[in-house]
Amino acid sequence: MSTLLQDIESKISGAKTTVAKQNVGIVREIGDGVAKIEGLTDAMLNEMLDFGNGVTGLALNLEETEVGAIILGEYTSVKEGQEVRTTGKLLQVPVGKGLLGRVVNALGQPLDGKGPIKSDKSYPVEKIAPGIVKRKSVSQPVQTGIMAVDAMIPIGRGQRELIIGDRSTGKTTIGIDTIISQARLNKAAEASGEKDYRPLYCIYVAVGQKQSNIARVISVLEEAGAMPYTIVVSASASDSATNQYLAPFAGCAMGEWFMDNGMDALIIYDDLSKHAVAYRQVSLVLKRPSGREAYPGDVFYLHSRLLERSARLNEKSGNGSLTALPIIETQMGDVSAYIPTNVISITDGQIYLETDLFYQGVRPAISVGLSVSRVGSAAQIKAMKQVSGRIKLDLAQFRELAAFAQFGSDLDAATQAKIERGKRVVEIFKQPQYNPLSVEVQVVILWAVQNGYFDDVAVDKIKDFQNKLTDYLTSRKADLVAKIQKEKALSDALTAELKAVVTEFKQTYK
Amino acid sequence: MKVTKQSRRDAKALFRACQVNGVLDENRVRQAVDEVLEKKPRGFAGTLSHFVRLVRLEQARRTARIESSVPLSPELQSGLKAALEKRYGQGLHFVFGENPDLIGGVRVQIGSDVYDGSIRARLDGIYEDFKAA
Repeated sequence: MSTLLQDIESKISGAKTTVAKQNVGIVREIGDGVAKIEGLTDAMLNEMLDFGNGVTGLALNLEETEVGAIILGEYTSVKEGQEVRTTGKLLQVPVGKGLLGRVVNALGQPLDGKGPIKSDKSYPVEKIAPGIVKRKSVSQPVQTGIMAVDAMIPIGRGQRELIIGDRSTGKTTIGIDTIISQARLNKAAEASGEKDYRPLYCIYVAVGQKQSNIARVISVLEEAGAMPYTIVVSASASDSATNQYLAPFAGCAMGEWFMDNGMDALIIYDDLSKHAVAYRQVSLVLKRPSGREAYPGDVFYLHSRLLERSARLNEKSGNGSLTALPIIETQMGDVSAYIPTNVISITDGQIYLETDLFYQGVRPAISVGLSVSRVGSAAQIKAMKQVSGRIKLDLAQFRELAAFAQFGSDLDAATQAKIERGKRVVEIFKQPQYNPLSVEVQVVILWAVQNGYFDDVAVDKIKDFQNKLTDYLTSRKADLVAKIQKEKALSDALTAELKAVVTEFKQTYK
Repeated sequence: MKVTKQSRRDAKALFRACQVNGVLDENRVRQAVDEVLEKKPRGFAGTLSHFVRLVRLEQARRTARIESSVPLSPELQSGLKAALEKRYGQGLHFVFGENPDLIGGVRVQIGSDVYDGSIRARLDGIYEDFKAA
């Protein structure tokens, strides 16, 4: 017995407590949410720094004698002479399905008053994009529900499609419509128990926007029942520039979790012009050298590293995808400004919205000539390809001819027919906001236009004709719509059936 | 006072000239400051203020501040000195101090490295853990 006591006593006396090494520094300067810290010789780039009292910072500038750090959240409590510690951790945000339906800030903390986020995993905010070996080319469509986009500028899962235009031309609306469309598709697939359908989860990142605008977007999403499939990351105009700079990266990390786990996600950055401005502010207070328009030299890298993280992974890597819809606001339609050209060159195409078209009543105000999708056509379903093949070219030709026709009244029959067809196509593509159409209905309408069923309808009656045809299809001919959805292509038999259905509708239309 | 890039560069050059085998030489530092004050080259005030900062940081880097709640015995002090010199190399300047706030244990700081084995640090750690949970 005594040996036992001796044994454990000797073991206990031999036990040594270890003291962990810490790296500390002293705040020398603080202002504008940026601190200059002396010491911190072991700090890593983008490492989280602990300022005490729950205040965290992010080391962004590593200099010879000091570290420049941005403070996340409230910085007024940080004082000169205060001690700062390294944490050995990079900035992380919570990820996972627990975030769906929530509104969070740039650090993943809830803003909606619905309690803590249920998430046991977190991802670093800055991450290297998936490499070449892990990727494959875009092959599945993102159905935006906007006919003009789905027919002419198709977007595939894993693509990066820029939405660009002046202020109030409907840029955000395209993003919101896409989210609503995904929610409807996800819900329909859940209800029908379709196994092959891959739900598309959405992340909406609001950068530097008015809080009233963000609140409106959230209420629209809630009304449309899209919130259960959506995460909203908010860094409003009243948030610090550091939070505005981090928000897109935080949203991207949340999207990456879906991609890495074999799911599909869509992220909307609204908007990257304000993000660049926030980054410029952070860089200038960090005293980084400025370049063109006072933006720092790495403003291109800022957006390229963010957008490169959107990818389509191959089957070996889980088959997930992250689609990005960055938004850029131009000034007076100038697409050749610094930030717009940067982002245009990074993305796989752009949807250009024009003010003139918007005020002419063409909404969505998509400029056919300047909008392009470089990879999306590979992702279109076959039926859509069959009916939309020439539509973009026809519409571009129509715009040219319409301008030409203003000067002379004598036009040959073929030109006249082209102009008349063009006018009808323009009408067809007008679509009210928050009202996405299913791809099957789009196919039928486009097929009817291509085959001249709209030609003898007056231009001002086109919309009415289209709406009634849509109602007729969804209520009375749901089986035909279902067939197109199933086959995803227009076979001869289906075409014959379509012909019969549209002819029958035309006879009854008044 | 605004320290220009040139002043910073000059201060750095001056600082390097004051080092002997990577260790700052006190005599050279004094000599350098005297010389600069005598000749008063362009922007000397900025150069000297940055030079002072570099010297201060270098001194902090080579100074081991050892705090304990009660005075350490000479054996313990020499043991600590030997252990720290083994890790940080020769030429360290040791400053022993008393700090009853630590309650017990020792806190060592060399430059920006801190080894905190005090009871105060552990209590603070427990407090933070509880607050986080």
